[in-house]
Amino acid sequence: MKDYFKYFDKLTFVLLLLLSLIGIVLIFSAGFPLKESDYIKQMVWLFVSLAGFFIVFSLKIDFVFRNALTVYLGLLFILALQVVAGRISAGTKSWFRLGAVGMQFSEFVKIPLALVLAKTMVRFQQVTWKTFILLILLVAGPIFLIILQPDLGVSFILCSFIPIIILLKKIRPLILITSLILALLCGMLVWSSGLKTYQRNRIISFMNPSKYKTSIGYQIIQSKIAIGSGGLSGKGYLKGSQSQYQFLPARHTDFIISVIGEELGFISIAVLLFIFFIIFYRQFKFNFQSDEEFYFIYLFNGLILFQFLINVAMAIGLFPVLGISLPFVSYGGSSLLSFYIGEAIILRIKINNYLT
Amino acid sequence: MYPSKRKLSPAYIKKSALVSAIFLIAVFLGILVAFWNIQIINNEYYRRLAIKNITRSIDLSAPRGLIVDSERVALSENKINFTLYLVRENVIDMEKTLRLASFFSAKNPDAIRAIIAKYKKYPQFYRIPIKNNLARAIVIFIESRQEEFPEFVIGVEPTRTYPFENCAANVLGYISEITEAELGSKEGKDYALGDFIGRSGIEKQYEPFLKGTKGSQIVIKDNLEKIQKVESEVKPVIGATVVLTLNLELQKFIEALFVDYSGAVGVVDLRTGGILAMVSKPDFNPEVFSQEMDMEQWLALSSDPQKPLQNKFLQGIYSPGSVFKIIMALAGLQEKFINTATVVHCSGSQDFYGREFHCWNLYGHGTMNIVSALQNSCNIFFYNLGKRMDIELIARYARLMGLGERSGIDMPSENTGLVPNSAWKMRTMKQRWFPGETISVAIGHGSMNVTPVQLLKMIATVATRGRMPRLHLLQRIEKEGKKIVEFKPEFTQVPIAAENFQLVIEGLFRVVNDGGTGRTAAIAGLDICGKTGTSQIIAKENPKYETLTKEKRFMPNSWFVSFAPKDNPRLAMVVLIENGGDAGAIAAPLAARIYQKYFADEGLL
Repeated sequence: MKDYFKYFDKLTFVLLLLLSLIGIVLIFSAGFPLKESDYIKQMVWLFVSLAGFFIVFSLKIDFVFRNALTVYLGLLFILALQVVAGRISAGTKSWFRLGAVGMQFSEFVKIPLALVLAKTMVRFQQVTWKTFILLILLVAGPIFLIILQPDLGVSFILCSFIPIIILLKKIRPLILITSLILALLCGMLVWSSGLKTYQRNRIISFMNPSKYKTSIGYQIIQSKIAIGSGGLSGKGYLKGSQSQYQFLPARHTDFIISVIGEELGFISIAVLLFIFFIIFYRQFKFNFQSDEEFYFIYLFNGLILFQFLINVAMAIGLFPVLGISLPFVSYGGSSLLSFYIGEAIILRIKINNYLT
Repeated sequence: MYPSKRKLSPAYIKKSALVSAIFLIAVFLGILVAFWNIQIINNEYYRRLAIKNITRSIDLSAPRGLIVDSERVALSENKINFTLYLVRENVIDMEKTLRLASFFSAKNPDAIRAIIAKYKKYPQFYRIPIKNNLARAIVIFIESRQEEFPEFVIGVEPTRTYPFENCAANVLGYISEITEAELGSKEGKDYALGDFIGRSGIEKQYEPFLKGTKGSQIVIKDNLEKIQKVESEVKPVIGATVVLTLNLELQKFIEALFVDYSGAVGVVDLRTGGILAMVSKPDFNPEVFSQEMDMEQWLALSSDPQKPLQNKFLQGIYSPGSVFKIIMALAGLQEKFINTATVVHCSGSQDFYGREFHCWNLYGHGTMNIVSALQNSCNIFFYNLGKRMDIELIARYARLMGLGERSGIDMPSENTGLVPNSAWKMRTMKQRWFPGETISVAIGHGSMNVTPVQLLKMIATVATRGRMPRLHLLQRIEKEGKKIVEFKPEFTQVPIAAENFQLVIEGLFRVVNDGGTGRTAAIAGLDICGKTGTSQIIAKENPKYETLTKEKRFMPNSWFVSFAPKDNPRLAMVVLIENGGDAGAIAAPLAARIYQKYFADEGLL
């Protein structure tokens, strides 16, 4: 036990906790004008997430990888069930209610999917047609079901696994080109039939925000105004006019970084970026005992990094608004829990190396 | 056991870590630069946008200045009015908004659409007035559920009200909303759409003083336009108070006498030229214009053949009839065509230029001199005087006594009337002047026409023996208790000898006090001088008369011009009753009651 504590990556854990606490403070600010109690819910979720973290942390890595496929298929089944239920009782969304608590199962898919993908990647050296199709099917299954939920953000994030695999593995140029064309076709298909009008509008407005100033480009413009007007040191906690007079949309979720930018300024943004940087940077300095662990860490970290980048880019108008939250900081229990579970696996992998 | 599962080469792992680290550093530096660019370099730009987001400058309408009578009784003032405004910026579903606006304002959605269309060029956050005088129940309903209707705002503003309703309506005039065309013009530069502007009467004449100075408010608002706090405020300044010479008591008294008549009355204080009463009947309630008027209301008022919106005292043109004999007498005496010894025999009719001209008294007045001719309003005497005189000379004296040109009273839209002469006839009808026409003009008929205010000015000039007053309604204008404008009485001397005025006045005195045509105006203890006029009208084609019964339609207009007392005169008055018939029977006794009222109130009777 003493060894566990000694070799546990305490700094990463503390930094993750710090991000969540910063998140709660900002969720309080975001909900302040309407006296919302989201920050209390997020505190409860943080406790749940920490419990989840330690439970998963206590599991043997072997056990985790062994059961990954079962969990993956189980989640697919639940998602399919939700889709069917949604078709029957029109309008059911990605939220699945467990008693009083809303559960967003789509958020959890990334963990077993990353594990299954890592296990699969061990089995081949180079991406061949056969393996390529297998990988695509593994990723496309949940993406397809999540798009039907519909949850554009999460399905988009899951796509990030494909380029990470390609970067980690040797790939024949022909397959690379084919996959690019395939991605393009998928994008077009989703654009023309899979997207709701509001989602399409968001992307159009991203292309030309000032033209849609009062309608669909509104969010991007308001977010940029919030961040830009914050300046070096911000307008002060609970004193941001964009946040407090509710010009900023989705303040506690997608645009939480805009609240930081406005109320706490560039200095705090730099601090936040630095925390994220340290967390990511430490993840690439590790030792491991099996290749699947290596692949899992790269896949899962890559996903967090991808989500982080898109969220930040969205807030400063460099990416369309797709409903993608800031990992560990934004409001959202399922997302928080799933990230903590994923981190539990990573930190456990890092410890195992020292223990043996 | 574990290492056996590890097959990746250390070089590959090292390379992966290195590439990842480089990628991480590059990406984070990129993000940092992007934030630096927005937050530090473009900070000013975004800060301005943020301020623009939350601040709004709101115009605060200034209450209009009051119009008060000489005793400072308010004739035109302001009351609280709730206005429904629409803010387009906050409209989510225009169709729904139109339905709501229609429900709140009781106007149909197309009408509301038309109002909104007028404000196309205004910014999206501009408050478009949809309805004035919103019912209190609607105000409470909207304000209590403001969150549901972010696009609607209730404004509390002063609105114009006239406590005495129709009383002095044509003096005060009315105000109404400024039009887009006016806003584009030079006069409209201080106004915004939705502002009110004086349209007639005193409201128009003294608009620059009455309108006040707008205030403004800088407020902090949230995204639903709900005011969070007031940042700064410049208070609106109420318009100046316009004090009139009008005597409300007298005005009301005369209007009460006039309920069954249409026509005009003017009463002037001869010491100052100030108008004490100005009546024009029928009239209207000016308040309907300060509220929103529907088309039917407007058509009813504007197409009424009795012309309630016309100030007959200033704009009505009538034949002066026998009243003109006063000017004939003055001209004849001054130009020495006649003197006290001149006599004319009236047998009821006389032939001039081959045509028979009648006196109103078919039996004849017998031998008449200038005084008795005025007393009895003998046509034959004045026909003969006219025959001796030239039309140009008559026209010159008519103009000298104020006919044919605006009286200069401080009211808009005054009519000039017409003093005919040969040049006028040649210009308009391409015909020379016939001597027979001069005979008609001599008794105030023919093409000559006048407004009541001109005759008031004329009789005032007679009363003062040639000291022609400038007629005015304004006494002074006060701003915040300080006098900023005061009217100084102005008189101009008419070049007619005082003894000639004295002779004419003697005639006018006898009209009332010696069994003359105006004997019904006599009051014991007051020396009233006056002249009746019963002027034929040409009623055939005038739609004005279609509402009247056939016999009344051809009734002549009744004039009575007068002043009192004979020496040191105080008041001059003109009474005109349209289609009143015999002036001695109707206009003169009405004048007597007005004198009775005024002099009794002043303690002079």
